[in-house]
Amino acid sequence: MSAPKIRLEAVSKSFDASVVVEKLSLDVRDGEFLAIVGPSGCGKTTVLNMLAGLEKPSSGAMTLNGRPIEGPGAERGVMFQDYALFPWRTVRGNVEFGLVYGPAGQALSPAQRAERVERTIEMVGLKGSQDKYPHQLSGGMRQRVALARLMASEPEILLMDEPLAALDAQTRVILQDELLRIWGQDRPASERRTVVFITHAIDEAVFLADRVAVLSSHPGRLKQIVDIDLPRPRGDETRRSGAFARLSQSIWELIREEAYRATMN
Amino acid sequence: MRRTALRLIVPVLLLAAWQLLASGSATAPRPSSVVEAAVALVRDGDLLAGLATSLGRVFAGFAVAALLAIPLGIAMGSMPAVERNLDPLVETFRPIAALAILPLVILWLGSGSGAAIAIVAYAAFFPILINTISGVKRIEPSLMRAALTMGLTPLTRMRVVLLPAALPSILVGMRIGLGIAWTAIIAAELAVGAKSGSSGGIGQMMFVFYAYSIDLNGMVVCMIAVGIVAFALDRALRWALAVTVPWSRI
Repeated sequence: MSAPKIRLEAVSKSFDASVVVEKLSLDVRDGEFLAIVGPSGCGKTTVLNMLAGLEKPSSGAMTLNGRPIEGPGAERGVMFQDYALFPWRTVRGNVEFGLVYGPAGQALSPAQRAERVERTIEMVGLKGSQDKYPHQLSGGMRQRVALARLMASEPEILLMDEPLAALDAQTRVILQDELLRIWGQDRPASERRTVVFITHAIDEAVFLADRVAVLSSHPGRLKQIVDIDLPRPRGDETRRSGAFARLSQSIWELIREEAYRATMN
Repeated sequence: MRRTALRLIVPVLLLAAWQLLASGSATAPRPSSVVEAAVALVRDGDLLAGLATSLGRVFAGFAVAALLAIPLGIAMGSMPAVERNLDPLVETFRPIAALAILPLVILWLGSGSGAAIAIVAYAAFFPILINTISGVKRIEPSLMRAALTMGLTPLTRMRVVLLPAALPSILVGMRIGLGIAWTAIIAAELAVGAKSGSSGGIGQMMFVFYAYSIDLNGMVVCMIAVGIVAFALDRALRWALAVTVPWSRI
């Protein structure tokens, strides 16, 4: 097996007196889709922010391709829970943002850049809405813009923080399918990008991921890593399968007690 | 057609009431005599010249205020240390009316355009500053974080994220500031008008009508002109807001 893409070694994070993440050790493999699930308070967003370089661990080591992560970098693209779209820019303006102003588009000519932006917009199904502003779009369409903005820069690693949480059930299912398509589940594993996907929805994690890291809460610790050996490409058949239900159930059992406790408090 | 007619009801009634009330007095200005005065003042160019002088001062002072207040507001809004140091100073000066600093300004700058511009700049400065600070502070943190993760340099982040994100607030501050600036210039010119040899402006024109020619009709013409200009300035800035920040619902 090749060296891990990302390695976390005994990473802890405290805010003031409270420990949010405690001694988390985790490897993310090249080209894999890793989901992190856990009840609220397990520090999963904090883990993602640390990977993005937006927050520093209080102790422990984080490396990317063997080099320490010391801050944000364009090779790690982030999709935020609230999408973080720029309201003053159109769909096209948002999607091209990283290419125009960041290092991602430096090597591209304006024509190549425009071509990639249009292709990405088409890929997420937003053709015809290029000139609309975010406030003119539905939640599902905004989510697609955020996804397109992330994909257009072609980062090595995609960090996604509950990107589908704010959507209704039908839109969610559709976008789960599309996310897998865009990630490249039809292509050989070597051509896929590395994804770290935060979610509180167990079924979503099982459906999307190669492996699911289950965290416990207060403080956030790694409870278990579950291999999801469901065949790819996945789709509605996967959702109906017994194996899917069994895996979801086993992960639910891992966090049930804490989830109940969190709800009762 | 019908709408326009309905809108005219209140103004027409007001005008009729004014004419009726004024007809009992020999000195009170009447709508008819005000119209005559207005025609005369427009024809000989005095009114427009006065307005042009005042507007020129307002725009100059307003530009000075914006050039100082916007960068300072961005610094105060984005750097807590700067804000901690400057906020007490700002909040001490802010309640001091522009007219209250007039004596000092006249002493230092005389009674010409320099003084008028300084008064306007002072008056417009605070609303622009306060709104810029709050605009910068209210930027959605995830927008700045998104720019960070896309590898933008600090200067680029300021130019393409911070500035446009704060722009609606800055423009609101400018709209308020321009309104206050127009009020301040009239007051300043009225006050400066008392000094002989001072130079023009609609406020001074009013003072001359009041103190020398005792022409009430002329004064009323000036008042109406001031109101119309204020209205036009506000509409112009609202339009500018709607055009430059169509995404914002301010």
